[in-house]
Amino acid sequence: MKSKIINWIDQRFPLTSFVEHDLTGYPTPRNLSYWWNFGFLAGFVLVLQVVTGIFLAMHYKADVSLSFDSIQHIMRDVNYGWLLRYMHAMGASAFFFVIFVHMARTLYYGSYRAPRELLWWTGQGLLLLLMATAFMGYLLPWGQMSFWGATVITNLFRATPFFGDQVVIWLRGDFTVGDATLSRFFSLHYLFPFIIIGAVIVHLVALHTVKSSNPSGIDLAAKDNIPFHPYFTIKDLYGLGLFLMLYSVFVFFIPDSLIEPANNIPANPMMTPNHIVPEWYFLPFYAILRSVPNMVGGVVAMGVSVIIFAFMPYLDRSRIPGGARYRPIYRIQFYLFMADMLVLGFVGYYPPTNQSILIGQIATLCYFGSFILVPFISKVEERWLIKRGLPPEVMALIESEKHEKSNKGDKL
Amino acid sequence: MKKLMMILASCLIATSVMASEAELKTVKVGHDVQTLERGVDAVMTNCHSCHSLKYITYRDLVVAGVDAKKVDAWRGDQPLSAPLLSQMSAADAAQAFGIAPPDLSLMAKAREGGANYVYSYLLGYYTGPDGVTGNHYYPPTKMPDILGVSTAPQDQQAKIQDTAHDIVSFLSWASDPHADERIRLGYYVMAYLVVLTTLLYLVKKRVWSKLK
Repeated sequence: MKSKIINWIDQRFPLTSFVEHDLTGYPTPRNLSYWWNFGFLAGFVLVLQVVTGIFLAMHYKADVSLSFDSIQHIMRDVNYGWLLRYMHAMGASAFFFVIFVHMARTLYYGSYRAPRELLWWTGQGLLLLLMATAFMGYLLPWGQMSFWGATVITNLFRATPFFGDQVVIWLRGDFTVGDATLSRFFSLHYLFPFIIIGAVIVHLVALHTVKSSNPSGIDLAAKDNIPFHPYFTIKDLYGLGLFLMLYSVFVFFIPDSLIEPANNIPANPMMTPNHIVPEWYFLPFYAILRSVPNMVGGVVAMGVSVIIFAFMPYLDRSRIPGGARYRPIYRIQFYLFMADMLVLGFVGYYPPTNQSILIGQIATLCYFGSFILVPFISKVEERWLIKRGLPPEVMALIESEKHEKSNKGDKL
Repeated sequence: MKKLMMILASCLIATSVMASEAELKTVKVGHDVQTLERGVDAVMTNCHSCHSLKYITYRDLVVAGVDAKKVDAWRGDQPLSAPLLSQMSAADAAQAFGIAPPDLSLMAKAREGGANYVYSYLLGYYTGPDGVTGNHYYPPTKMPDILGVSTAPQDQQAKIQDTAHDIVSFLSWASDPHADERIRLGYYVMAYLVVLTTLLYLVKKRVWSKLK
């Protein structure tokens, strides 16, 4: 009976072939480390956010006079409302944590390199969508930090040439952040996740065309690929268990650790908090914004700091395959970049002092400098490594690629 | 690398400066019903005439285990579902103090330092050399020294500290009434996840052992 139904479907829809090609039999490099678990985790957190969000929306009121109270209603009166809300609030942080690790892995192992540029760029688009969604969601509790954060960030669009002021009013729907802003942010906060889901499908189609990269950076022969199921389904589930433990520590034991105390005060347009800070995941970019003395320059620098990752496939000119594994200088650069991100995060968190502004400016220079230097460093490093001698299989790969290129040249 | 070390080092210096700015007294918040009852008693006597707790209803107090007779006395002819609004109207309070006293439902969460801040603030009153009462932790405060810290003789200070502790314990409960339930549930969730993840690890090991 079962096979009869499946047969009936298969004649009309490629069910079996899809499942075999993209789920069970999908060829995956056997040497993937646990750093390759984070894509799956990001997908899991996305589902978690959508599900908790839908249930929260059943009790939430997007109205300046009701929204703060409705959050307290969820926290106090709705059955397990506190759990839903803490899962959703911590889920946002978990999402960024997972995505940042996912991106760091891509950078470390050079997974952005040809032929995976489109995979990397669709990921970049997802990061931007995620940031927009998180930013709009943060306004919804209508606390002091929600209100002032949204005010500061929407104000940045004043930097738009010619009609900056109009753009800010258009975004807010009012001259200040108000009821119009809150209801449109709620509407878009509900819409964007579904755009994200669409973009994730594009990201996965790109992945299944070029297949996963792997720690060696060398595309493996067919014999070194293993089917996704059962090997990576179980590995992803084990990783999910570890992730859920960390997540649950935050949700059940320290749920207020990432929520600013000022957000427990209802929004008050007449009273600016002493110190406006964004959520932790925006801090490095916020520090870059503040490091540039000129407002337009700061906004441009912040925008570029997020987009600049997209240029990595072209900035990295080394012919040595993969990322940091065979490239000691690139590896040092990677760790320095991570340290620089942490420094920027600290600088973004604390109120600006002469000292912290200077540190922020140096760290901002290091941030952009590390991207600008990649083309030169990668070329110098390549020459040095070839002179010093590389493992034979890596040398062979570089030679064969060179050969391929010259063959192509002959044909032309 | 050297430059980076310098940056990191100066970052550490910067953070230590920030941390020493506010030295709050630390308080160990009580979670038992007795403390909660003493706390709500102290709040009704000292705070409730000016401050509201609008997210807490009289029923919440009964459910939390406060003596129903006491709750009945406090609420008078208000229904059990009525929130704990202040006895003074916001307009009157604004006239008396120059500012409307804030709602206390979320106070234990709404300030940097949380319960420690509220505790320090309540005990932070002093009488200056000019005879004017001030507060170490929030100098612009308009609230009078309600517990009498600045004027009480030495032998009564311990009692005042106990009252402050009870008030803060109650306010902590009020800011997150499900906290105890959340932590209790958290232990079960963690235990479940440890078992599940261990099993998943064993299955993973077994599945992968088929590869050579």
